[in-house]
Amino acid sequence: MKALSRQTQRPPLFKKQPSGLSLAWQVSRKFILMSLMTVSFLTSLSAFSKSGEALKSLPVQDGGRIKPYDSFSKEMLEVIYGKQKYESRDASEIVLTWMLSPQSWVDKKIFEVRNHQILTALNLPQEQRYFSGGELFNTDGFRLLREELDARRQTKEKLNPYFQAIQRLENQFFMFQEIASGKMLKVLPPKDGNAWVSIAEMPTEYQAKFRDIAKAFIVYIGEVAKVGDGSSLESAGQALDTAVLGFEDAARAINPEAYSHDTKIGMEVHYNYFHPFRWAYMFYFLAATMILLVWILSKEILMKPAWIFLALGFALHTYGFVLRMFIMGRAPVTNMYETVIWVSWGVILFSTVLEMIYKLRIFLFSGTLVSLFALVIADFAPAILDPTLQPLEPVLRSNYWLTIHVMTITISYAAFFLAFGLADLGLFYYFRGEAKNHEKIRTIVMGIYRAMQIGVAFLAPGIILGGIWADYSWGRFWGWDPKETWALIALLGYLAVLHARFAGMIKSFGMVATGIISFSLVIMAWYGVNFVLGAGLHSYGFGAGGVEYVGAFILIHFLMLLYVTILRRGQQKNLKT
Amino acid sequence: MTTPIVQKKTAILKKFNKPLASLKLAVFIILSLAVITAAGTFVEAKYDSFAARKMVYDTWMMYSIMGLLIANLVAVMVDRWPWKKRHASFVMAHVGIIVLLFGAFLTMKFGLDATMRVPIGESSAYVQSSEIDLVVYSSFDGDRYTKIFEKEVDFFSHPPSAAKTFDVPAAGEPIKVVDYKKYVLPSRRVIQDEAGKGGAGLRFQIQNRRVNVIEWLVQTKAQTLATHDFGPAQIHLGPLPEKGKLKNEIYLSPEKEGLKYIVFYKESEAPGKKGFLKEGEVFDPGFKMPMEFRVLRFLKSAVEDWDLQDMDHPTPLTTSAVKIVFEGKDHWVLLNDMVKLFSNNAAYLLTYGNRRIDIGFPVKLKSFQIDRYQGTMRAMAYKSVIEVPGVGEQLISMNEPLKFKGLTVYQASFQEENGQPVASIFSVNADPGRFFKYLGSLIVCCGIVLLMWFKQLDFKIAKKMAPKAMDNDGAKK
Repeated sequence: MKALSRQTQRPPLFKKQPSGLSLAWQVSRKFILMSLMTVSFLTSLSAFSKSGEALKSLPVQDGGRIKPYDSFSKEMLEVIYGKQKYESRDASEIVLTWMLSPQSWVDKKIFEVRNHQILTALNLPQEQRYFSGGELFNTDGFRLLREELDARRQTKEKLNPYFQAIQRLENQFFMFQEIASGKMLKVLPPKDGNAWVSIAEMPTEYQAKFRDIAKAFIVYIGEVAKVGDGSSLESAGQALDTAVLGFEDAARAINPEAYSHDTKIGMEVHYNYFHPFRWAYMFYFLAATMILLVWILSKEILMKPAWIFLALGFALHTYGFVLRMFIMGRAPVTNMYETVIWVSWGVILFSTVLEMIYKLRIFLFSGTLVSLFALVIADFAPAILDPTLQPLEPVLRSNYWLTIHVMTITISYAAFFLAFGLADLGLFYYFRGEAKNHEKIRTIVMGIYRAMQIGVAFLAPGIILGGIWADYSWGRFWGWDPKETWALIALLGYLAVLHARFAGMIKSFGMVATGIISFSLVIMAWYGVNFVLGAGLHSYGFGAGGVEYVGAFILIHFLMLLYVTILRRGQQKNLKT
Repeated sequence: MTTPIVQKKTAILKKFNKPLASLKLAVFIILSLAVITAAGTFVEAKYDSFAARKMVYDTWMMYSIMGLLIANLVAVMVDRWPWKKRHASFVMAHVGIIVLLFGAFLTMKFGLDATMRVPIGESSAYVQSSEIDLVVYSSFDGDRYTKIFEKEVDFFSHPPSAAKTFDVPAAGEPIKVVDYKKYVLPSRRVIQDEAGKGGAGLRFQIQNRRVNVIEWLVQTKAQTLATHDFGPAQIHLGPLPEKGKLKNEIYLSPEKEGLKYIVFYKESEAPGKKGFLKEGEVFDPGFKMPMEFRVLRFLKSAVEDWDLQDMDHPTPLTTSAVKIVFEGKDHWVLLNDMVKLFSNNAAYLLTYGNRRIDIGFPVKLKSFQIDRYQGTMRAMAYKSVIEVPGVGEQLISMNEPLKFKGLTVYQASFQEENGQPVASIFSVNADPGRFFKYLGSLIVCCGIVLLMWFKQLDFKIAKKMAPKAMDNDGAKK
């Protein structure tokens, strides 16, 4: 469902496979695409200036920081409905109407429940995903579930997915109530202290100011729903903006210092709508397509647009990364989503460097594909890879060693990911026939070897830096914490491969095979520890979900490898006889 | 210049050294290390880090692999002797690992990794380490105790059983440890003391519209005071005082005639309500807030015991326990708890728990503070202001420890009661291997940088040494 709704936002050209087209068409199409994208860029950049948008930038205190109302509403809708839009309406509209007229939402099916055990406990149909508040919460079943959760909390044991799902249900219940009652939305800075005041608890004069926003908002969404000539919508939007700015001025007057986040808030709203990483992977896709065309059509000239697309993608990728860094005031490498972004960035970096040295195109091709793959996953799995901007746990704060060790270790994963991508390509060529693709395989194996060397050269110091950080914060260099241990296991895996290669124990096919197999160690260290093992001091990065997909991903690769190995054995036997 | 004899000697040495220096052995060692440590992480996920340590990381298997690794690293360097310039990165990476492991060995052997709990406003000079000791004190008069036994025990790895008991010599029959449970969920229970040597026990209920609590009060021995502090009021079981302390207090005392009570009030030192209570009886102490005080159970002689529920994996509420048999009686002792044992002519005190070490200076916790993210209860930082003689006041926070007398005191966590922090938990470390670990790290990293530098050269060497390996195997067919 998520995939479909996102798909529609893309330029339609994206869907077609542009292979086998004439060069002229290709080039002209490239320009059409470029101009299309430029237009979309500009429109999304100008999101600020459109009327009716000021509400999105209203500062709200939530989750330990000041964020724009836009981010707040998106996160709330995500918790309750599991998406950032409801029936193609923006979260900022939906969430405010929860507060302004909660009664009109009573029968709407806005609560997402995915866990089948919970649905069984509540006597609700298994195939349904969305339910109304009445169906879920006015039941004995819900009360029993909460008691069960409380009992579980008493034991202080870890919550398994079932209890996590109850916890989410409880959250959905409370959040909706708190928003509806106006207690959740904290929009007024205090005179002193740092706890902001919610709409329900504001002094009457500010309540009145907020009522102006509410009135203008109702008129505005009425106009949005209408199919008019646009002029009345424009004026309604302006009226809403004026009301919002009026409120902001009043709020700023209370405590100008606490209300001085304009730049960051503007940036965050821009970040919310710009989707830099989505743009980046689209460009990577184009770059990969171009390189593919270079091979298929044997047109060397197409390398130039490939480089241009890559550069554009990389620039946007970097831009998004810097934006997150600016908004949060820290390097964004503290949760799974952020490391995926960072690793895919590193993949492009390493493949570009290798490409510049060896000029074999294969590096760039696999690099763009791997990065594209990682970014697409990050974009389509927000429930597992949480893209929201969250403050840090105490132990992670104010320490540059943290940032350095995490960045060093994860950048090594980028090199191993690249080796994995290359190994996949190598496997493909083995599948196509070893003899005729001999040269390509040779290149690929060299690339795998290089990428592994780069990876080891970052991972070993990264683990040591992690030790230094642990020594610095906890007073112990090495404590067999699962996260650090698995990083070490991955390092050992690749060291074994490099030594075995050196000893002549593994050859070209062995490098391709180990390139794939060893990467499962990286997946374990990177994803598995947090999502499968779920133990240890690095618990701040923990999450749940997606295990079956990741498991299937690894399994499919192992099966492919097995298939090609058997195929190759057969060929070799044939050659001998 | 080396003489031919020396050359011959080195040749022989190299010949014997060869198998130990083999790359295949290296690959085997690396892979076994990976497999063993991976198993350790699964043990940790299923149980806890302590179990992983005891079952995987701190075992002879692990030490042997480490020993083999060092032997292999040394052997391969001997094998390549005399070293050339191109060996620099190889030698550095390998020497670095050896130095690093040496540092780790020093830490393991001579280091201290302990925790210290200091309640707010109090001070402590003791830390708790992870070693577990069984200590027995004996006394003939029941007042003065002398240590008669102290030994480190590792019941996790070597659990005692009825067939293989762990014996502590005593004057007569030995004290036997006959069972060990890794994970038990304890709940306190008070029972009648058959021997009649324990103090009194009282189970009471305080109830009004807002409060309803049921608690046990047990005297450690007769004539001592056991107290339960509810904040606005205190309940004591023990000798009755003449005057109050200007607090809301209820004193209960087991007298010959029965359970006597006296109530004191905040407003006056003079005793207020007094009388006798029986099991099941209720009275209103007469505080400003009306309440009922009910005696649920009264035992003239009571002992505390534990109800233990076996668990197959640890939770934050579980602990370990040992079963002691002495003079035909069973006693369960929880970790960091003690038990009193009586024979006809002597009393023993047995403690089972983490080793307490005097660090030589007291740490006083002046204040503790939690910074929270704005508008939430989410912790942003913990800070402790401590006072140490010779240093004065010092602020310790996450990532900002105190270094003093070879020890480093880190802010680790804190203890909370009813939503309020009551104590700060520090981690106290001494790491004699630190220098070598950092040195080894530095050498390894330099080696890796050099490796990247010389990678072209390295590649050529590899080609020369193992032409088959670097050649494409597909090409040969």
